[in-house]
Amino acid sequence: MRPFTYLRAPDVATAVRAISAEPGAKFIGGGTNLVDLLREDIEQPGTVIDITGLPLTGVEELPDGGIRIGALVRNSHLAAHRLVTTRYPMLSQAILSGASPQLRNMATTGGNLLQRTRCLYFYDGAAACNKREPGSGCDAIGGFNRQHGVLGVSDDCLATHPSDMCVALAALDATVETRSEHGVRRIPLVDLHRLPGTTPHRETVLAADELITAIELPPPPSGAVSRYRKVRDRASYAFALVSVAAVLKVRDGSVSTVRLALGGVAPKPWRAYAAERALLAAPATEESFTRAAEAELTAATARPGNAFKIELARRTIVATLRDLLAEGSAA
Amino acid sequence: MTSTDTRTSQGIGQSAPRPDGTLKVTGEFAYSSDLWLEDMVWGVTLRSPHPAARIRSIDLGPALAMPGVLAVLTHEDVPGEKHHGLELRDQPVLAVDRVRYQGEPVALVAADHPERARRAAAAIVVDYEVTEAVTDARRAAFDPACPKVGERGNILRHQPVRVGSVFEAPVVVTGEYEVGMQDQAFLGPESGLAVPAEDGGVDLYVATQWLHVDRDQIAPCLGLPAEKVRVSLAGVGGAFGAREDLSMQVHACLLALRTGRPVKMVYNREESFFGHVHRHPAWMRYEHGATRDGRLIYVKAEILLDGGAYCSSSPAVVGNAASLGAGPYEVGNVEIDAYGVYTNNPPCGAMRGFGAVQACFAYESQMDRLAEACGLSPVELRIRNAVSQGSRLITGQLIDSPAPLAGMLAELEAFPLPAASDGDLRELPGGVAQTTHGEGVRRGVGYGVGIKNICFSEGFDDYSTARVRLELAGGEPHVLVHTAAAEVGQGLVTVQAQVARTELGVERVTVAPADTTVGSAGSSSASRQSYVTGGAVKTACEAVRERLAELAAAHPGLTTTALLQRFGPVEETREYRHRPTFPMDPSTGQGDSHTQLALCVHRAVVDVDVELGLVKVVELAAVQDVGKVLNLLALEGQIHGGSAQGLGLALMEEVLVADGRLRNPSFTDYLIPTILDMPPMKVSILENPDPAAPYGLRGAGEPPTLSTTPAVVAAVRAATGRALSRVPIRPEHIALT
Repeated sequence: MRPFTYLRAPDVATAVRAISAEPGAKFIGGGTNLVDLLREDIEQPGTVIDITGLPLTGVEELPDGGIRIGALVRNSHLAAHRLVTTRYPMLSQAILSGASPQLRNMATTGGNLLQRTRCLYFYDGAAACNKREPGSGCDAIGGFNRQHGVLGVSDDCLATHPSDMCVALAALDATVETRSEHGVRRIPLVDLHRLPGTTPHRETVLAADELITAIELPPPPSGAVSRYRKVRDRASYAFALVSVAAVLKVRDGSVSTVRLALGGVAPKPWRAYAAERALLAAPATEESFTRAAEAELTAATARPGNAFKIELARRTIVATLRDLLAEGSAA
Repeated sequence: MTSTDTRTSQGIGQSAPRPDGTLKVTGEFAYSSDLWLEDMVWGVTLRSPHPAARIRSIDLGPALAMPGVLAVLTHEDVPGEKHHGLELRDQPVLAVDRVRYQGEPVALVAADHPERARRAAAAIVVDYEVTEAVTDARRAAFDPACPKVGERGNILRHQPVRVGSVFEAPVVVTGEYEVGMQDQAFLGPESGLAVPAEDGGVDLYVATQWLHVDRDQIAPCLGLPAEKVRVSLAGVGGAFGAREDLSMQVHACLLALRTGRPVKMVYNREESFFGHVHRHPAWMRYEHGATRDGRLIYVKAEILLDGGAYCSSSPAVVGNAASLGAGPYEVGNVEIDAYGVYTNNPPCGAMRGFGAVQACFAYESQMDRLAEACGLSPVELRIRNAVSQGSRLITGQLIDSPAPLAGMLAELEAFPLPAASDGDLRELPGGVAQTTHGEGVRRGVGYGVGIKNICFSEGFDDYSTARVRLELAGGEPHVLVHTAAAEVGQGLVTVQAQVARTELGVERVTVAPADTTVGSAGSSSASRQSYVTGGAVKTACEAVRERLAELAAAHPGLTTTALLQRFGPVEETREYRHRPTFPMDPSTGQGDSHTQLALCVHRAVVDVDVELGLVKVVELAAVQDVGKVLNLLALEGQIHGGSAQGLGLALMEEVLVADGRLRNPSFTDYLIPTILDMPPMKVSILENPDPAAPYGLRGAGEPPTLSTTPAVVAAVRAATGRALSRVPIRPEHIALT
């Protein structure tokens, strides 16, 4: 860990001012990811601005029936919030399937969006990693890559985005609100993260001086059922091999609403638009689900270590939709 | 008083509570990483980033120039022997002119703050010339063109076993099996505190498994006589074999003696993965021949164990793999070759099960194949071949105490099977993530049998020492037990007190902290401490009892209290040895190489989501013969823990190494089972005494680790129909490729 200057921001305006004044500064919320990265010397900010004192800890109901989540709401708090458990149970499921209770007690909503990958090579300072050290290469490509991505990856980076919460947010059409010296910006969550291309170190569209202040969710589609499913190597406290967040509504035997997002397979929370297009208005059958999964996964590219993820993703998508179909019919 | 008194409330056979239990559960226990002195400074290790390289030069200047730095040391500062090691002193204290594995210590720094020490270590400039890393164990062993890893040849031990000459059979099954590198995954990282002493020596407080073998390696490296190196046991956060080799011991002492200050060293989790040995990965080829009715005619096997860059305890691991390589089965014709080899991979050594684990996965997989080929149930096939008292091992050694394997298997098979899932999604594969609602879930049942040698084998002079003092404290009899035996979490402190209570009939027993001011207790490994240190405490108590009986005879009418009042404390020190063992013949493997053998059998019941490849172990049931239960609660804990480690090896635990580099040195990336992965256990404990052992006991810590792994894998095979010849098995092996 390198020495850094520590500042504590009492309000949003001060936080935003402080970060514009200090190029290379980082905000710290729960610190559940940043502190690890500091210790590993992967992040080397000259200044760390503590934002845990900012008044961004509320979950509020919006007039349209949606909700607004303050960026500093802790994961545990959000997962247990009545507005979430009643209107967006899938978001609760996703949050609770990530990390451990201790980490969820500390981790913030805003910080979760900006989690960095758990690629083994990203964390090893001696390994080549274009994300950590642009231009150095990617040791994951010829190395252990069973955790790595099959969608949206590039020849420069195979890393996946590790968040569970974000996968649910992607399927829920979340919007991210930010503040900077230039004002307020609203970014659809699905546009927040970039694909690696040839610049895998640039992970989001945020400017260096932008502070995430809130996440807003539109009202849940009426009459739809939803679920987050996560497949991992052990029963808890492990990153997703594949996860699926799905919202489904069936009317007269046809899919009338569907939103589908994937985790564990891509550099960002992956909204499965191709699958959604294939499903919309299609008969709500296992055959349609399979076709939709395949429509999404035709673009997948695998390495020897992670080829199984394509089939695993296909099966997990189908199984999740099958469950939702049964649940929707029962209700 | 003068005879064994079993009326004490917390003697042998009682579930006496552990003095460290509540403290550990509530987070108050002081581990070695909590050691603290006001004037201490911090030691840090610079390690090699390369698995193989020559060191051209080391520039310490930048580190020495940094504020707060008190000393920077290299191999040139090691005043005595430059190497240490358990079986062969081939491991440099600090790299001399070459590094042979990634993470090998190269230099040391002491500074007034740990972060300053770390930064100074990072400032040291080492000029490496990277050389070819030997990372393929098979090539290291058998390719004459392969570079030598160390000064010797790459085969560190080849142990054949040869019996009989019939290698043809009506039924033949063959298989190749692989075991990945497992980590002991103890929670308390390597740590300790070295305090320089006025006599020019050093006092070391450290978490270890074997105080005297530490001292006997440390002292020569420091150029000090053994009596000037005093080692005391600090709080141990688990061991499982990983603390048998030295880690920071010599380093902290060197820095303490150089700076004249107490030096604390604590590895972080990542460094810990580089700081201790792991379980040997293994590649095994087996061929079993049998009659059509399933009676073994022959076993042929080649077992290749990757020992990594230094010797550690690899030769003994190879010995176990060879001598136990056919399992607890009667077979008259054997051709086994077990090899341990040097490579530039991380050094491997002791881990719970010690060479027997790897072989057990292979021979039990073979027994299942054979059962299928003969049309027999796995249990029936095993019963037909099971050893019993009077059988001979493949080494020719007579099994001269109870070995009721057939009965154990029959009992295990008769346990009722768990009910089918009741639809609670949390109990299905994927658990709380609710990845299945029951579709695609298939149940499988599998059996595993393991045999483990207890205590050190192959002629090792294996003993323990106990000093027992009966005295008055507050006018009441009190016993002080002092040994150098390491409590590593297994409950040994409690057992020592139980033995003293039973033997002396005194309730109040204190077990003194373990240190080197009393004779060696040997290692807390090989499931041996209840046997050997338990035996030493028992023997010393008997000697105290005899002295007291003499006093009582000379002074009739005086009570014990009165005798102690008049003549003072009675203290006796005794060494205890188990029956001698003998080397294995180097070309045939024959010989009475073990002193005691222990059996454990497991049945695993699994639910497998055959679509997604997820496994839920629904039940693990075990039958183990322990000879005599000393402390039921502690014993069950050992069986549960050993089974959890075996389950971990079956389903998730693997240190990933490629090109000599370790890729997952963290508990985020190296997965061990959590409470959600480990099922409730049904355990039946048998007490068929071994007349050669104290109280008839049989070591119990390791056997359950052996038999769990093949049982779980067999159950997954039964559910999926897949061959599954490598552990750990992962979703992609079960369902997706």
